[in-house]
Parts: sequence; structure tokens; C-alpha cells
Amino acid sequence: MKKRFIRLLPLFLMCIVGISAVLISFVYFDFISKRIYEDSTDHLEEIYAQVNRSFGAFVERNWGLLNSWANYFIPTRQQYEEISDFIKNEQSYWGFSEFYFISDDNTCMTIDGIKSNMDSETSWNTLVHRKNPIMAAETLSTIFAVPVKHGEYNGFGYDAIAISYTNEDMANSLNVDAFSGKAKCFVIHNDGSVLLSTQVGGNVFSSYLMYLKAASNLDEHSLSKLSKDWINGKSGLLQCKIGGVSYCILYQPIGYQDYILLSAVPQNVVSAGFLSVQKTTINVSIVLFFMIFASIIAFFILRGKKQSQKNKMELQYRERMFDVLSNNVDDIFLMLDAKNHNVDYVSPNIERLLGIQVEEVRENVRIMEKCAVNANIVIPEKELESIPLNKNKYWECEYMHQSTGECRWYRMIIYHMNIQDVRKYVIILSDRTHERRMNQNLQDALTAARSANEAKSNFLSNMSHDIRTPMNAIVGFSVLLDKNAENVDKVKEYTHKIKTSSHHLLSLINDILDMSKIESGKTSLNTDCFSLPELLEELNIILMPQAKAKSQSFKFHVNGTPPEKIVGDKLRLNQILINLLSNAIKYTPEGGEIEFLVSELPNNSSNQYVKLRFAVIDNGIGMSEEFQKNIFNPFSREISSVTNKIQGTGLGMAITKNLVDLMGGIIQVESRPGNGSKFTVELSFVLPEQEASELWFHQRVNKMLVADDEEDICLYIQEMMHGTGVNVSYVTNGSAAVETAVNAHNDGEDFQVILLDWKMPEIDGIETARIIRKKIGANVPILVLTSYDWSEIEEEARQAGINAFMSKPFFPSTFKQILEPLFLDGSANNKEQQNKNESVLKGLLFLAAEDNELNAEILKEVLSMEGADCELAANGLEAVEMFKKSKPGYYDMILMDVQMPVMNGYEATRQIRAFERPDAKTIPIAAMTANTFAEDVRNAMDAGMNGHLAKPINLDAVRDLIGKLINK
Amino acid sequence: MKKLCFSIIIIAAIFFLTSCSVIELLSKNSERVTLTIMGRKSDVKKSYLNSIFEQYEKSTGNKLDIIAFEDAEFEERAAKKFSDGEIPDIFLHFHNADLSRYNVSNNFYFLNDEPWINELTDSAAAYCKDSHGNLLGMPFWESSVSGCYYNKTILDSLGLKPASTQAEFDVLCQALADIGYNPICWPANGCTWMFQFGLDPIFADNPSLLESLNKNEISYSDIPEVRNMVKWISDAADKGWFGPNYLENGWSDISYNIGSGNYVMTFIWDTWFYTDFENDNKYGIDDFALMPIFMNTANNGTYEGGNLNMMMINKNGENLQEALEFLKFCADEKNYNIAFDSIATVNCFKGQTTNIQSPMVTNAASSIEENERVSVAASRIIGYSADDVSDAFNKLFCKKTDVLTCVHLMDDYRIKEAKKYGADGF
Repeated sequence: MKKRFIRLLPLFLMCIVGISAVLISFVYFDFISKRIYEDSTDHLEEIYAQVNRSFGAFVERNWGLLNSWANYFIPTRQQYEEISDFIKNEQSYWGFSEFYFISDDNTCMTIDGIKSNMDSETSWNTLVHRKNPIMAAETLSTIFAVPVKHGEYNGFGYDAIAISYTNEDMANSLNVDAFSGKAKCFVIHNDGSVLLSTQVGGNVFSSYLMYLKAASNLDEHSLSKLSKDWINGKSGLLQCKIGGVSYCILYQPIGYQDYILLSAVPQNVVSAGFLSVQKTTINVSIVLFFMIFASIIAFFILRGKKQSQKNKMELQYRERMFDVLSNNVDDIFLMLDAKNHNVDYVSPNIERLLGIQVEEVRENVRIMEKCAVNANIVIPEKELESIPLNKNKYWECEYMHQSTGECRWYRMIIYHMNIQDVRKYVIILSDRTHERRMNQNLQDALTAARSANEAKSNFLSNMSHDIRTPMNAIVGFSVLLDKNAENVDKVKEYTHKIKTSSHHLLSLINDILDMSKIESGKTSLNTDCFSLPELLEELNIILMPQAKAKSQSFKFHVNGTPPEKIVGDKLRLNQILINLLSNAIKYTPEGGEIEFLVSELPNNSSNQYVKLRFAVIDNGIGMSEEFQKNIFNPFSREISSVTNKIQGTGLGMAITKNLVDLMGGIIQVESRPGNGSKFTVELSFVLPEQEASELWFHQRVNKMLVADDEEDICLYIQEMMHGTGVNVSYVTNGSAAVETAVNAHNDGEDFQVILLDWKMPEIDGIETARIIRKKIGANVPILVLTSYDWSEIEEEARQAGINAFMSKPFFPSTFKQILEPLFLDGSANNKEQQNKNESVLKGLLFLAAEDNELNAEILKEVLSMEGADCELAANGLEAVEMFKKSKPGYYDMILMDVQMPVMNGYEATRQIRAFERPDAKTIPIAAMTANTFAEDVRNAMDAGMNGHLAKPINLDAVRDLIGKLINK
Repeated sequence: MKKLCFSIIIIAAIFFLTSCSVIELLSKNSERVTLTIMGRKSDVKKSYLNSIFEQYEKSTGNKLDIIAFEDAEFEERAAKKFSDGEIPDIFLHFHNADLSRYNVSNNFYFLNDEPWINELTDSAAAYCKDSHGNLLGMPFWESSVSGCYYNKTILDSLGLKPASTQAEFDVLCQALADIGYNPICWPANGCTWMFQFGLDPIFADNPSLLESLNKNEISYSDIPEVRNMVKWISDAADKGWFGPNYLENGWSDISYNIGSGNYVMTFIWDTWFYTDFENDNKYGIDDFALMPIFMNTANNGTYEGGNLNMMMINKNGENLQEALEFLKFCADEKNYNIAFDSIATVNCFKGQTTNIQSPMVTNAASSIEENERVSVAASRIIGYSADDVSDAFNKLFCKKTDVLTCVHLMDDYRIKEAKKYGADGF
């Protein structure tokens, strides 16, 4: 109540102020009105008193003039002309309109002799008989006349003279400038008859008293009093209404012939000043009042608006906050009217979460039913009614997003609330999908963990089995070897089996370690520029014998013109391809076919990359579809009667897959049991900048001859040699080759190289070479280009004058490598070089650092078998000391184990290289370690070593390395 | 003594003149002539004409052959007669625009020097003269004075008096309106004559304007006074001076409106009070008086003289002298007083005494003498049609046009009518 009173207090105050202002204004204006009206009427009376005096003077003047003319001038003049001239002069001076001589019979004559009758018969008695001056109204004029002594003018006897003024002139004499010309002034007789009027337009009033009687609101009493006043010569002022206009009627006796000066002034004109002041005051007051009122109203409106705006902003802020909040959470909020279930609010995120429009929900909340995956779970109407006030219930339900079709689980909590006396249901749909999925994932993870555990058990089981198998063989055959040491054949047989088992065990361990390293993410790629042909050549060299051993057809194909040099990890690529190819050989029966296809894939993205596809196709045993799904899992091997006989760790394909992934490529397998398999690897490589091989050709070879029955190959070679500066001529048979070579020789312009296909029709490559040698001698190098194994014909070919063999496909870099030694020493051959390499070990002294005595002994024994000697150090430090103490050049090479006590091989190498002696920097040092990963090799090189030998020491590898190092 | 001498002289003169007439008559009897008179059928039936014709035939023994055409055919047939050379000795025609069909200067005798012309009242003589002052015929016709007839009883009772100027008239109207009276009875429904009263002073006072207008050299819209008139009428209507129902009021309403005192004034002619005014209302004929009509075209107001039928003489006829003698006979005070005995008309001859003349006209004689104009607008403006002008004004009253458009409309109607008539210059 008190609050309401305080709230309404300003309104009460405003009303009181308003009423007070109106009352004060009323009293004030009434007072002012009276005062100003009194002043105005005083002013009016004063003005018309002045007019009265002025008019009186006017009348006196006219009568005076007439009397003076009558007494002094006219009687003395006998000539009419003289009188006429005088009067006309006076007329022009005084402004009267006419001069009359008047006879006693009411006729008159003008100065020009025109006769007429006078209208004012009544006044005539006064003039003629009473001998008094008169002022009388004629139709259009007013005359002033004075009685004179009887005279005669132009034969007209007269008893009075008169002058007349037009009504207009008369009106001017009475006119009042005040009151804006709206005042009417009359000269009336005391009976009310109007003598003259200042009314604009003239006088139409015959009796003003009668006019007032007819036209005004004056009653009989007032009119009677007025008439009496006039008759009694009294002045007075009264107010009346004429034609709806209020007039002030003022009358004052003039003092002559009972004439009265009467003025009728509209009251609003009389009070014009007051009205103006009043109007202005009222206007100003009203404006001020309204300004104050408007200011107060504006103040309250602004305050209310500000408050409202503040509330609105707060509300908007809250709504916005809530919208933002709801938009960023996966909970949907709805508020329903409990009576009719109309939607009062729905959070905007419903569009995002359920794919239905807010407006749709607002129109009908049932629209949500179409989102429910289970039609039975919607907003349960009956359940709603059953929720007690201020309680809640919840359900779990699954909704499908209407746009994406995604199904999500929600927990629907419905609160029954009372908001400002209105019952509402507040519904919150909380997204529980994540929880559900997490639970599912946990379940899956649990299952996976169990599977992993199982797999681990299987792995360990496989490991133990796979490792034990060769170990058992080694141990068993070692026992047998010990027992049959005397039997040479047995010894050879057992040592061969031990060797085989050892190699298998080694490869198994290598694979396991490799796999372990890959899976732990420690594998990195050692990218460098390498020759693709070289890689393929090496693969051919490695795998061709294996295929040949199983009488398998092993074909190499290169489609297109893949780049010769690419940048990548050659070692890992080699590993991938060897895995695939060796598997193909392994799982293809004898006499089967293996095809290795290399092709360049179109690459539109960049000129700096090349995408290569390596396809290994065999017609081997193939794989079941089921196995293909697990082929890249570790230790997965298809179990069949065939595969059981084939040794394998089951890690090869897993390693391959991981390496392909590591290199950013893809590997695919297509296979059917019994119909062979096709493995496809697609990898991208960076292209190196142009190399120096082109320069080499520019400097050494100007022209060459190619002979191949397939012209495409000739053109391919021409294209490959384009840019090297070598002019490539080609022929498509042996005879043409002979003829071309001989002709060039005869012209003194021998080809600098001749490249012959082995298998050509009519005359093959060897025979062609033999004929060319006969005709042009042994100066020009002749090479045979073949995709076949040339080992069987190598001897015959060399005898026929062939200098070297070259595998298809033709690559300039390979070509250059083959030509280099030929250009150095003429006709050196591989066999001799091989012999040289073999003899390199003989007589050399090695310093070998090896902490394992057994390994050290084996090493020493092996080297001694090659004719080399070896001094052993038990650790790195010892090796350093021994080298330090030795004379420069004493040791030919150092074989350094890496992992050793006291000082490891890397540190020992660094210290040796740090010595100031001349051979410290040049003595070949080769790492000798079981760590065969790329980074191991890199670490060795970084430490200053020149090569890397994997344990157990393979003598061929040692021989190759030493050969290379010595050659350098 | 003086009176006795005067009577003797008069008797002697009468005797002398009678003797002369008898002698003359005797001489004429031997060669009696027949004068042909051509006129409208309705016109020649007028009692005063038949009276004078009868007197003449009796007096002279001459015959009068009356050729009368039906009113509607008159102009066509008479013009045909003239074009065929069959021109009568005496031709009866109003002084209006149609008169131009008859080649006035070639066919008719100008009566300027006839001895009886001083017998004519000024207004009658003025009516019969052309623009050059030639008297075309003798106005032997009944006449009236159109003016502003007002209820003097009411005015007196209100302390008001009649106006003598346009400004006073305006004041008077407003004073009446202020008191609550309807000042002017202006029956706009079919009473088409009002407008010509305003136009008369414009063209009567300035004949060259009429000449230029009839030559189609100027139009109403070129004449400021016409615009002033139209504006005044429009303003008067707007101020309520015509009363509330003036658009519905017609001819038959005038009598009641005036007689009942509902309206104080109306613009009409004196004879109307003897022919159409019903004297059974509050106010009778004695309550009315005459003042000039004010329509803002003449400061002191105007009266319109009557439209007079003239007797015109064929100057090329064989009986020219006899025809002139006939007119002389008609202008005889005795003869015309016999003819006009008890006829309600304003005097055409100064010596008319037997006719009935309205006291209203008599009382306003001096004012009429000063302010009367010949009826010019209706009769002499080529193409003028009271109906057309009324139609233009009704559009103005109904606010369908403004003042200027109303004037243009009056012009359009006039020019259209003139073209239809085949007037020169249109």
C-alpha cells in the first residue's frame, strides 16, 4: 500500500500543481481582464471625447465660415461672378463639395445656378424659422447652413446659405485611426436617426435606435434607458451583441441640435490590447506549462524507458547468454505452458542438434515426435500430467537429426514448475551420446585389450615357437656336429644346416626388432638421392637367382619413362620391394611366373614429385579373402599345407605396410586362392635437381650406335640420351649395325659406343659384335642390352668382343656407370675385377675391436682364411691405444664393434680420427654391429667410420666393403 | 386672368388644327393608301397596337395591311421577305441583335428629325437609338423598370434605409444578414434574367465595348467589369446574402419569399408586382419600394429599361410619307393615351397619363432618371443567352468552377451561339 502510494505520489503532486496553475491563471486572467477592459473603455471614452471635440470644431468652423461669408463678403458683392469666384476659391480651400443659397420654400440653388429641393425638411424649420444654424443630412451629403438676411443671387431669393460635404468627407472628419478602422462612428439625432456615419461604404442606417432594437440583444429596458439618455443629452457606455459580435456602444452629446456622437466598437477591438496580452500570456503559460509538463513526462518516460531498456538489455543479455550457452552445449531447453502445452521457449540449438526449426517447434511441440527414433519415446503427455509440482522426471530417448540422419541419445528431464503463478514444464534434453559412446568405447577397449592380450600371448607363443625352432636346429646340429666331428660329410651337412638355421634365426630377430622399432615410432627415413635403375638392378641381381633357383619366370618391366634419379630412402624402398618380390618367389610354385612392373603415375600436382607404382604379380598360391584382411597384421600367416612348408616370420608384410605408411604411400593386395596375388605399392618421391651425368657424356661420347629389332626401344634410348649431347643412331638388325659401324670406321668417324640387343633376328647381338670386331678392331666399346640373364653366354660374348652387359631398361646413369671403367682402362672386365677384390684381403692387417671373445675368434678365423691377419682389442679404449701405439700404416683397416664396455665403437672411432698421425684420417674403419638400422649406419658414418658390417660377419660383405674402400 | 387667356388660346388652336385636319383628311380621302405592317403574331395582337391601328384607320381612311408571322418563324420569314424585296412600310421589331439581319441603314428611315421625338421619354428614346444616335423607330410598346425592389417596411423597422451606392448596398446586405434576414431573393433555379442587369451598365456606358465584343475582338474575360460582377455575385452567394436555398428557388418562389418577408429585396421589374405578385402574404405591394440594382458594375446602381418593340419605317417604300404620318399619328398624346388606357406600363411617351404606373417607379423617378440603362446585354450582345449565362453561374454556385472559369464559360457559350447564328467575325 505504502509502495503504491509512493509510486503514485508524483502523479498526485502533478495534479495538484496543474490544478493550482489553472486556478491561479483563471484568477489572474480575470483580474487582468477587468483591469484592461476598464483601461480600454476609459481609453475609448477619451478617444471619442477627442473626436467629439474635433467634430464640434469642424461644425463650428463651417458655421463660422458661413456666418463670415454671410455677414462680411456676400452682402458687399453685387456681381454674381465675383461671389461665384469667391465661393469657388473658398471651396477649393476648405474642401466642401457644394455651396447653396436656400430659400424659405425649401428650394435651393447652387453657386452655378442649379436649383433643387432640400431633403431635410424637418431641419428647415430650425434654420429658416428659428434662425438657427443647422447641420442636416442629405441623400449623399451633409449640409451646414446658417440663416442669413434675405438676399438674392442670380434672381434667386435666399434666406440661408449652406455648404455641403460628401458623406465621405464627413466620415473622414469623424474617422478614428484607433481600433484598426473597425470602429463605427455615427452622428445621430437624439431620436436615433442617423445624420452621418463613418462606416466604410456609407450610411444605411436611418435610425440607430431601431437598428439596435432589431439587431442587438438589448432588451426594452436598456433601449428605453438608452433613448432617455439620448433625449436627456447624457453620455454613456453599454455593451451589446450585434450579429453575434459584442460591441461597446459609446454615446456622447455633441452639443448642437441634440446631435449625439455614437460609436460602436467591437469589444474584441476595444480589448485588443488585453486580448493580445491575454493571448500571449495564455500561450506563453500554456507553452511553459506544457514544457514543464512535457519535461516531467519526458523525465518519467525517459526514466521508465531507461529502466525498461535496462531491464530489456538485462533480459536480452540473459537471453543472449542463454542462447550462446545453449548454442554451445548439447542440451536443448524447452518451456511449455502446462495448460495447453504451448511452447513458451525453445533454445535455438535445437536446429543444430535435431535439425528442426525453432519456429516449427514453437508452432507445435509435437513436431519433435518425428525426430524420435523410437516412436514410443516422445514427450509423454500423460507422464507430464503425472509429474507433481516442483518435481521432475527423466527419460532416455534417442533422436535422429532431421538433416544429417545422425542418431543421438538424450536424457529428457522434465521439471514441473510454478513461474509467476503459471504452471510450466521445463524440459531439458541433455545429449548423452558421448557418455554412451564412451561406455561403448570402454567396452570396445576392454574387448580390444583382451584381444591384444590374446594377441600378445599368441605373439609370444609364436615368438617362442619361431625362435625355438631354428635354435633347436642349431643346438641339435651342434650336438650332432660335436659327435660326428670326424665325419667330413656330416660336418659339412650339419654346419650347412646350422648356418641355415642361424640365418633364419637372424632374419627373424632382425624382423622382430625392425617391427618393434617401427611400432614404437622410432623408425625414421634416411632420404637421399638415388638411382632408380641402380635399385632395380640390385633387385634383379638379388632376386633373379632366387627365381631362377625355382625355375620361375622373373620379368622386369618399366612402363613409361620414370626418372632416373629420385630422392627417397633407398634402403627402405629396397626392403619393401625385396619383401614383396621374395614373398612372390616364396609363395609361387616352381615354374611359376613373377612379374615386376614399375610405372610412373600421372602427377599433375607438381613437377618436383614423381609418383611411382611398383606392382609385384605372381601366379602363386594366392590368398583367401579372409587372410587378405589380416595380411598386414604381425605374425599373420595363412595356414595351409603349402605355407606350412615355407619358412617365414609373419612380420614381413606388417613391416612392409608400416614402411609404406611411413613413406606416405599406399599398398594394396588383390588375390584369390590358387590364382596368384598382385601387390601394388604407390609411392611419391622428390625429384632431384639435374645431375652431372649429362656433363660426363658431353665430355666423352659424341655419337653412338644402337641396334635393336624393336624400334621403340631404339627411340626410347634416343629420347633418354636427349640432352646428353650424344648423337644416337639406330638400326633394327645386326647386318645394318655392321654396315653402319664399318662405314663410320671407314669414314674415320667411329662410333664411340655400340649398343646391341642380344636377341635379334638373323644375326644376334653376339654375332654382330664378332663381325664388327673383325672389321673395325677392339677400340670401340660394344655393349649388349638385354632383359635376359646373360651369365650363360657371358664367356662367349666376351670372346666375341663384347665389353659389358647392360640390363633393360636403359637408363643413361647405368649406361654411364658401365662405360666409366671402359673409358678408364679400355677393356677391363668384371671377372678380373672380381679377382682383384678377392685378393684385396690377402696380406692385410686388421685391428678388430670386439668385446665378445667368441665373435672375436670367429672374426680372426674368417680373416685368416682369406689370408689376412687380425689383432684383437677387447673394447674401444684398447683399440684406440693399440692404434695409437702402432706405427702409421701398420694397420690396413679397423673393424670396430659398436657396443663395447669401457668405450663404445663410436667414441673410439672419434678418438682415432682425432689423432694427429697421417693415417688417422684415412684408415678405413668399418662398424661391426648387430644394429643394422639406417640410423645405425648414419651414426657410424657420423662418428667417422667408412662402412657398416652387420653381425654376424658375412665374409662376402667384408670383402665387398674392403674392395670398395681400397678402390677409393 | 392668365388662365382664361390660356384657355382661349388653346381652344383656338384646337379649332385651327381640327380644321386643318379635316381639310387634309378630305384631300387624302381622294387618294387613300394601304400601309403594310409586318410583325410577330403575338406582338401585333397587343391591345394597345390594335387600338392605335383602329384609330388610325378610322381617322385617316387609310388601310393597314397587317402581315403577321408565327413567333417561331418570324425572323426567318421576315428576313426572306426583305431579301425578296417585299419590305413592308412599317416593320415591328425589338432593338436586338436580330435586327442586323434587315440591313437597317439601307432599309429603314432614321427618325431623328421627326417632330414627335421630344414626346419620347429619355429611356425609351435611348432604347431606340443605334450606336450613332440615330433613332431607328418609335417605341409604341408597354414597358417596365427593372430594379431592386425592397421591403421598405422591414428596412424602416430595422432602422435601415436603401442604399445609394454599391458600398452602401453591401453594408445594407450585411446589416440585414447580421440581423437574420435574407437580403436578396435570387432564385437561381430558372430565373435567368438577373445577370443581364449587371451587364447592362458595362455595355450601355461603353458602347465600344459592345461593338468589339460583337465583332469578336474581345471577350468577357478581357473586360474587368465582367469579372468584378461575377466575383461580386459569387461572394454574395458565399456570404449568404441570397439565403440558404437560392439554388432551389425559382420563379414561382419569388412572390412568397418577398411577400412573406423572408427576403427583403429582389431584382425584378415593376409590372411583375401587377402580374405575378400574390398580394395575400404578410407584405403587400405598398410595402415595397425601388432602389437601383447593385452588382458591382455601377457605383450608383442601375435600372434596366424595358425591351421595346419599335415601329420602323421603310425608307425606300412608296408610302414613306404616309408611314411617317402614321408614326406621327401614334405619337399624338390623345391617341396614345387612348391606346394605353389602363395598361400597366412605364411611360414611353412623356404625356402618357392613362396607363397604370407603379408608385414604386414614380417615387424613384429621379433615381431612375439618373441611373436607368437601356437593356443592352440580353438584346444586343450577339450570342447572348440568358440560359447559358445562368448555366455558367450555376456551375460557379455549385463550386464546380471558379470565377475566371465561369467567365470563360460564359464566353464559350456566347461564341458558340454566335457561330450558330452565323454572326460576322465568329
